[in-house]
Amino acid sequence: MAKDKKVLTGNQGIAQGFYEAGGKVAASYPGSPTVEILDTLSSYQGVYSEFSTNEKVALEVAIGGSFAGVRSMAVMKHVGVNIAADPLMTFTQTKTLGGFVLVSGDDPGLASSQNEQDNRFFGKFANMGVLDPADSQESLDYTKQAFEISEELQGPMMLRITSRLCHGRSIVNVGERKEVAPKETIADSDDSYCMIPPASKEAQFFMKERLDRLKSYAYDTNLNKLEENGSDTLIITSGLMYNILKEVNPHVDVWKLGLVYPINEEKAKEITANYNKVIVIEEMMPFIEEQLKLMGIECEGKKYFSFTGELDYGHIAKGLKEAGILDVVNELDSTTTDTVERPPLFCSGCPHRPVFDILKKSKTKMVIGDIGCYSMGMQHPFEQSQSIISMGACMGIVKGMSKAFAMQEKQEPLVALIGDGTFFHSGIPGLINQLHQQGDKENITIVVLDNRTTAMTGGQPNASSGLYTKKDDMKVSINELAQSIGFDRVKELDQYDYDETKKIFKEELAHQGLSIIVANGPCALKFKMNNPHYYVDPSICIGCRSCIKTNCPPLKMKEYEGIEKKKSFIDKDMCVGCSICAQVCPVNAIKQSGEEAKGGA
Amino acid sequence: MTTNILIGGVGGQGLVLMTNIICQGAMKAGYDVKSNDVVGLSQRGGKVWGNVRFGEKIYSPNISAKQGDVLIATEPLEALRWSASLKDGGVIIVNPKTMYSTPVQQEKAEYPKEEIDALKDKYKVIEIDANEEAKKLGKIQVSNVIMIGALARELEIPIKIWEETILENVPPKFKEMNISAFRVGYNG
Repeated sequence: MAKDKKVLTGNQGIAQGFYEAGGKVAASYPGSPTVEILDTLSSYQGVYSEFSTNEKVALEVAIGGSFAGVRSMAVMKHVGVNIAADPLMTFTQTKTLGGFVLVSGDDPGLASSQNEQDNRFFGKFANMGVLDPADSQESLDYTKQAFEISEELQGPMMLRITSRLCHGRSIVNVGERKEVAPKETIADSDDSYCMIPPASKEAQFFMKERLDRLKSYAYDTNLNKLEENGSDTLIITSGLMYNILKEVNPHVDVWKLGLVYPINEEKAKEITANYNKVIVIEEMMPFIEEQLKLMGIECEGKKYFSFTGELDYGHIAKGLKEAGILDVVNELDSTTTDTVERPPLFCSGCPHRPVFDILKKSKTKMVIGDIGCYSMGMQHPFEQSQSIISMGACMGIVKGMSKAFAMQEKQEPLVALIGDGTFFHSGIPGLINQLHQQGDKENITIVVLDNRTTAMTGGQPNASSGLYTKKDDMKVSINELAQSIGFDRVKELDQYDYDETKKIFKEELAHQGLSIIVANGPCALKFKMNNPHYYVDPSICIGCRSCIKTNCPPLKMKEYEGIEKKKSFIDKDMCVGCSICAQVCPVNAIKQSGEEAKGGA
Repeated sequence: MTTNILIGGVGGQGLVLMTNIICQGAMKAGYDVKSNDVVGLSQRGGKVWGNVRFGEKIYSPNISAKQGDVLIATEPLEALRWSASLKDGGVIIVNPKTMYSTPVQQEKAEYPKEEIDALKDKYKVIEIDANEEAKKLGKIQVSNVIMIGALARELEIPIKIWEETILENVPPKFKEMNISAFRVGYNG
């Protein structure tokens, strides 16, 4: 029926699949490319969904749902699984009750990530089946089927998706929700869920036997499809790579895997025995290729296709030519013209801007950054951050550096920069750890940029959002939390007061010992700053570019009529009236207009 | 036959909604359709792009170099950037309102005005001042619907389908404004 057809993204397909499968508990931590799954689920009736404080908690919430007998799902980006790995690696030893699916959003090409890890290996490592959908319809279908398999085998399943699939749209047949009766919960006499010996030892045998059953299931699963065209070459592929291969359209047979782990050895040998040549096409690591090679099947993959980045039409065509399958291949032209770059930058009115401007002027040499919008502070023109590693890492790193510096008699001030989302996610243990063996030779300033939202992923609420909005329920004050832990030098400030902020930064950076600054300016985008715009009076402006150096989008240097030198200019359509440019102007050339605010979004 | 539409602009300009509306219009017209939405950071100010492919059967959502039929650019520098994805003689619908990127703002690079002007020699460039037209209608946010109107003129999908799709995607109190915006773009 036409009315049941919709254009959905891969993410929306998974949300719809969870809904149709009768899923009840879903938890996530926002991370590109999977944010939209929970955003979408929050509008469905009959589903409990939450953005948890981190991926480990999200996974545990979903485990709880499964233990209570209902279909449950945890959603996270690839590196989020690292955070969740501790409960994951132990949970997967147990017998799953309510169906359990872990969605891992991988990011070939690192469009928005700090690394490019291939989480299919994580699935294998954790003894889970791994599904790899190719478009939005399969995202929906595989989600439903993953729950079926999970309950049939009493095992957790991983749905591995990639950025382009998550954000790409295609037509989907949308169905009805089918309620599923809850499975039995853990019996009170049952100690097989207490993962200490002897139960955890016994669980190893269950896990092995369950994986064997999954391998049998893989023999003739409908998730894998063989397309025969009478060729003596077989290409084995999965997910989006299948669709790109179809676009290249070489004359080959194709074995498309929907279940990429485990592959059934008997089946793989039966199929590949009919071909002279077997080529594997997969992004990132040789996951399928290694499984086949371990089975003794002759094949090639990474010999022809890159270990990193996305594989597009041109890459696949080029690889197939090298493999002797295609004769002629066009040049691998770029899809973009080489011209002036446009890197992302802090939004108009962003509260991070004055902080980075002040840090830059302070000439602090060692700023250890973290994951969030403020990662962009490492870019030109601020160039403030000597390291960005992983969520919450700045806390431990400054501690280790400060101890090492102290042993070398270095008095270098160290700054740890962290946002509120990241602070709640995994910054707190590192903060507490600062209290251990605190010395008197260290100079550490921890700056928490508390903009009251997880901004980088689109403004999801977090534990301090409730301090700012009525609809959010968590009201954790970072200032009070730090003081109650035992830090006595905590300064909370409003960084839109530039001079006061500068003064406090100067004092705290000079302070010998540990101090904490909580900058509480709210996210200008999420909370829609919308004040009357500012303008430049070119007759006063001296062209010093103090405002331009704040990198605010509406600012530029301009030639005014009748004035020889370039003067600063503000595009009023883009200005939200934060006033920082006016505050850094040494000659008061920037003034607020009397016009009403422009109406916002 | 497959139609390949590219969309280039600046983060925060509403490209995701535009991509979605084009996809829905193509589906309603009976085509198979696939798209790429912005892949990457959700922040504002950086380059963002998407694309829509529709036709009888679409496999890959990606458009290779020199395969695009129409490029909608909500900013001129982004028109230049993505023009490499267009077929020779392809159509560029561009909003002329410039937004300086960081290298230009910081005076490390010149805004490539001449190269942008030269796009006219190779492609059919349709300039539509969607920001100013949208302001006249009452809300700058309808500028992308004006761009969709201009796109509709280059495609064979009936106006009725576009208007129906737009109405399904905008808040009820701005329905009339959006239909007016579509017509401004369509009538040129």
